[in-house]
Amino acid sequence: MPMRLPRSPAVLAAAALMAAPAAADEIFPYAIHQQALDNGLRAVVIPYDSPGTVAYLTVVRTGSRDEVEPGHSGFAHFFEHMMFRGTERYSNDEYNDVLKRMGADSNAFTSDDYTNYYIIGPAAELETMMDIESDRFKNLRYGEDDFRREALAVLGEYNKNVSSPFLPMYERLRALAFERHTYSHTTMGFLEDIKAMPGYYDYSLAFFDRFYRPENCIVLVVGDVEPEAAFEGIERYYGDWKPGYKAPKIEAEPPPSGSQSGHIDWPAPIRPHLMAGYRAPAFSATTVETATLDLIAQLLFSESAPLYQQLVVDEQWVDFLQGGYSDHRDPYLFSIFTRVKSDDLVPQVQAAIDEHIAKLKEEPIDAERLERIKSHLRYRFALGLDSPGAVGFTIAGYLNLTGDPATVNRVYDQYQKVTPEDVQRVAREVFQPQGHTVVTLSHPQQSAAAAGGPS
Amino acid sequence: MSPQSRFATFALTFAMPILLAACAPAPRPTAVDTVTLASPGSPLIAVRLMFKSGSIHDPAGKEGLAALTGLMVGEAGTARHTYSELIDLLYPMAAAIEVSTDREVTVLSGEIHVDKLAEFTDLLTEVVLEPGFGDSDFARNKEQLYSYLTTTLRATNDELLGLEAIQQRIFHGHPYGHSPAGTVKGLESITLDDVREFYRRHYTQANLLLGVAGGFPEGYVEGLQERLAALPAGEPATLELPSPPPVEGRRFTLIDKETDSVGIHFGYPLPINRADPDYYPLMVANSFLGEHRTFHGRLMQQLRGKRGLNYGDYSYVEYWESPPFTSKPSPNVPRRQQYFSVWIRPVVPDTAHFALRNAIFEVDRLIERGLTQEEFELTRDFLVNYSKLWAQTLANRLGFLMDSRYYGMDPYIEKIDERLAAMTVDEVNAAARKYLQTADFEAVFVTDEAAAVKAYLEADEPSPMSYNTTPEAEVVEADKTIQGIAVEPAEVAVVPVAEMFEGD
Repeated sequence: MPMRLPRSPAVLAAAALMAAPAAADEIFPYAIHQQALDNGLRAVVIPYDSPGTVAYLTVVRTGSRDEVEPGHSGFAHFFEHMMFRGTERYSNDEYNDVLKRMGADSNAFTSDDYTNYYIIGPAAELETMMDIESDRFKNLRYGEDDFRREALAVLGEYNKNVSSPFLPMYERLRALAFERHTYSHTTMGFLEDIKAMPGYYDYSLAFFDRFYRPENCIVLVVGDVEPEAAFEGIERYYGDWKPGYKAPKIEAEPPPSGSQSGHIDWPAPIRPHLMAGYRAPAFSATTVETATLDLIAQLLFSESAPLYQQLVVDEQWVDFLQGGYSDHRDPYLFSIFTRVKSDDLVPQVQAAIDEHIAKLKEEPIDAERLERIKSHLRYRFALGLDSPGAVGFTIAGYLNLTGDPATVNRVYDQYQKVTPEDVQRVAREVFQPQGHTVVTLSHPQQSAAAAGGPS
Repeated sequence: MSPQSRFATFALTFAMPILLAACAPAPRPTAVDTVTLASPGSPLIAVRLMFKSGSIHDPAGKEGLAALTGLMVGEAGTARHTYSELIDLLYPMAAAIEVSTDREVTVLSGEIHVDKLAEFTDLLTEVVLEPGFGDSDFARNKEQLYSYLTTTLRATNDELLGLEAIQQRIFHGHPYGHSPAGTVKGLESITLDDVREFYRRHYTQANLLLGVAGGFPEGYVEGLQERLAALPAGEPATLELPSPPPVEGRRFTLIDKETDSVGIHFGYPLPINRADPDYYPLMVANSFLGEHRTFHGRLMQQLRGKRGLNYGDYSYVEYWESPPFTSKPSPNVPRRQQYFSVWIRPVVPDTAHFALRNAIFEVDRLIERGLTQEEFELTRDFLVNYSKLWAQTLANRLGFLMDSRYYGMDPYIEKIDERLAAMTVDEVNAAARKYLQTADFEAVFVTDEAAAVKAYLEADEPSPMSYNTTPEAEVVEADKTIQGIAVEPAEVAVVPVAEMFEGD
C-alpha cells in the first residue's frame, strides 16, 4: 500500500498512515485512509461525494456481549444513554445546543457486539464534532440523580418495544439457545435487570473506566473530508486519551446438546408467530462459512426463494417470512421469523421450512441460481451506498467485527468463491437438530376461524 | 455549509406543460407531467410514479380499495408475467418495485443501477400498463391489508395503533377518517371488478406525476414519458376536501387493550400546510417544542430529560410517516390538510395523567412565552442545516421535489432556507399564538386500564409525581402547577381494540 507523508509533527508520532485506493476488482468503491494513534485509538477516513456533509462515527467495540456479570444485562445499552449526560465543559444541555446549532442528525445505538455513536452534519463543523465527541469519551461526568432518571428512560424504551411479539420471542429464543454465553440475553437486557439499573451508579463508573478506552474505539469519518486534516485533528483532540481497556472474559458456549422449544401465550387475539434459530459459527471473512450462510439465507428467504414463493405467494399460509445469519463476533444463530395465517397452519409451515432446509442438505443447488444470488448481493450493496451515513454504518459494522474496514471487500470476495458444494456442506453443518431452538407465540383462546382472513 | 451547497451539483429541471395562447383551444400537454433531477455521475437512477389515488378516493363501503389497487399493480402479476416471474426477473438486479398508498396518493417507486436500467424500465412500465388482476394475487394482497389492520395495528404495535387512531379521531367523518389500509368490512366487500374499475379511473395520465433522478442517459425520460402515454388520458381527480370536523373541548378516546404502559397522542386540525407562508414560522415554533427524535425539544427535555417519564416526547405540524421507525420526515405522503399533534411515548400507568398535563403545560408555555431571540436563532439555524439531511439520498431528493409539485409550491427544502433566512422571532411567536392551543383537542390513550384512566380524567384531581431521585428545584416548582392543571374533559370514550378499524 502506498505511504503518504503526514503534514504535522503530531501525526508523525502515529503508528501508521495509510491510504488504500479502491481497487478496480473490489466492491467497496471508495479509498479507505487509516491511522493509529499511540494510545491505541484508530481513525478511519473515507472521502465520499457529499458536498458540505460528513458522517462522524465512534465505534466502541463493546455491546451486550460484554455484559458478563450476572444481573447487569442491558448495561451496555443503558450506558450508551449515559454518554449523552454531559461533561464538565459541556453539560447535557450545552452538548445538545452545540448539536442543535449545527443542525446535526445525532444519536447512538447498541447491539450485541458494539455501540455506535454518530453525528451527521455540516463538514464545516468537523472540528466541533471532534471537540465534543472526544470530550465526552475522555471526560464523561454525571451525578447519581441523572443516572437514576436515565434508567427510567431505558425502562420506557423497553415498554415501547414490548408491545411487539418480536421482543418477548427473541428474549425466549436466546435464553433457550445459550446457556453460558452472554448472547443469552437481548441488547435491551432482562426486564428485572432493567428495573434494578437505578441502583448501579458505581458499577456504571467502572463500566466507563473499563470499556471506554482508546484501544477499544475507532473514529470513522465519511463524506466531504480531507484525510490528512482529519487525522491531524483526531490526534490533537484524542491524543491525550489514556489507554487502559480491560477485555472481559466472555464464557464460550459449549456445543448444543439437544433441541429446545418454548411457547408464549399472547394476551390479545393475534396471528400465530414462529421464531427459530440454528447454532451458527462466528463471523469470518477468511473462510467461506459466513458468506455461504448469507447465500443460504437468500436461497431460503428472499422473495425469489422457492420456500418464500410457496408460503407467501402460492399457498398464502404466512404474510411475513424472514431468515438469515447476522454477523456476530462469537458463534451465534441462523434465525427464522414468520407470521402464520392461522393456528392450524403452524405445523404445515414448520414442515415446509424443514423440507426446504433438508433439500439444501441432500443435493447441491443449481450453479446458475447461485450466480443470480451473487449478482443480487453485489447490486444491493452498490444501491445501498447512497449517503455518507449509509457508508458509515456499513463500514462501522465491519470495524466492529474485525477492526479492519477493508473486511467489506473480503466478504464480497468470499461470496464469489462459494460453490454449490459449499452450500450443501454448510447446510449439513448448521441445520442440525441438536442446535435447533423454536419459539411459538399465539393467543390461547383463539379459534382458527377467528384468526382467518375475510371470506 | 452554505445553504445551497447540497444542491449545487444537481441541475433542477422541470418539464413544464406547454404554454398556450389565450385564444387557442386547450389541447392536452404532450407529455406526462414530470419532475427530473439529473446527477450525471451517479450510477444510480430513482424512478417514481405518483398517482392521485389515495384512500380519500375509496368509495363508501369499499374502504381499502385504493391501497388494494396499488398492491394489485405493484405487487402482483401482469398480463405477461406471474408475480413470481416478475420477482425472479427483478431479483438479480437487486431491484424491487415498491408501492405505498397514503390518504391522497399512491406511489410506485424503484431504484436501479444504471447497468440494468433498460430491463428495469421494461418491467416497471409493464406492471403499470398491463396489470394482470389475478385471483390469487387478489386474495394475497387483500389478506395483507386485513392482517395489517387486525394483527399489526390491533395486536403488535401500540405506537402505530395510537398514530392511526389519533388521525381517525381528528378527521372522523372526513375522507381522511379511515386508514389507507381500509376497514375490515370495507375489505370484505371489495371485488376484483372494483379493483379493475378503480384502476381504469385513477391510473391515468392526468393523475400521474412522474419523477426521475440520477445518472439516467439522454432521451431516457422522453422514452419513459412516451411509454406512459399508453395510459388513458383521463381527467384529474380533483376531490375537494371538506373542512375537518370542529373540535370542541378536550375529547378523549381510550383504546382498551392488553398492554403494560400507556401511549398518548393529542392533536387537532391545522388550517395550513407547507404551501402556506405561515407554515414556516410555525415549523420553527414546533421544532423548539418537540422536534421528532432529537434531544433538544422542550417536551423531550422536560418529560424525559428532567423527569424520566418515558423514552421520547415530540410534536408535529405535519403528518409524519411511521414515526417509530423514521428519524427524519419521509417524502411522498403529501396531504393538503394537516394537523398539529403531540406524541408521548409509553409511560407507566401511574404517571400518564401527569405526563398529559406536563405536555399541555409545555404547549401553553410556548404560546404564552414564545421563543427568546436566542432560542429562535438556535432553532432557525438548526432547521436550515437539518432540513438538508432530509434529502440526502437521490430518492428522497426526488420525492421532496415531487411533493412540492403536488402542493403547487417551490421546492420545499429550498423554501425552508429562503423563508427562515428572512424570519424574525416575532413572526414565530405570532404563529405559535395563532395556530397552537390546548383548549380543543382530540386525545387517544392506548391503555390496559381504561376504566381507571377514565375515572381519573373525569375526577380531574391533582396528580402529584414522586421521583426516584431528587428533582431539580425548577422541576419541583413547575410540578406544583403542572399536577393541578384542570384537564376538564368534554368527553371520555372507551373503545375496545377489537372494534378499531372494523368499519360501519
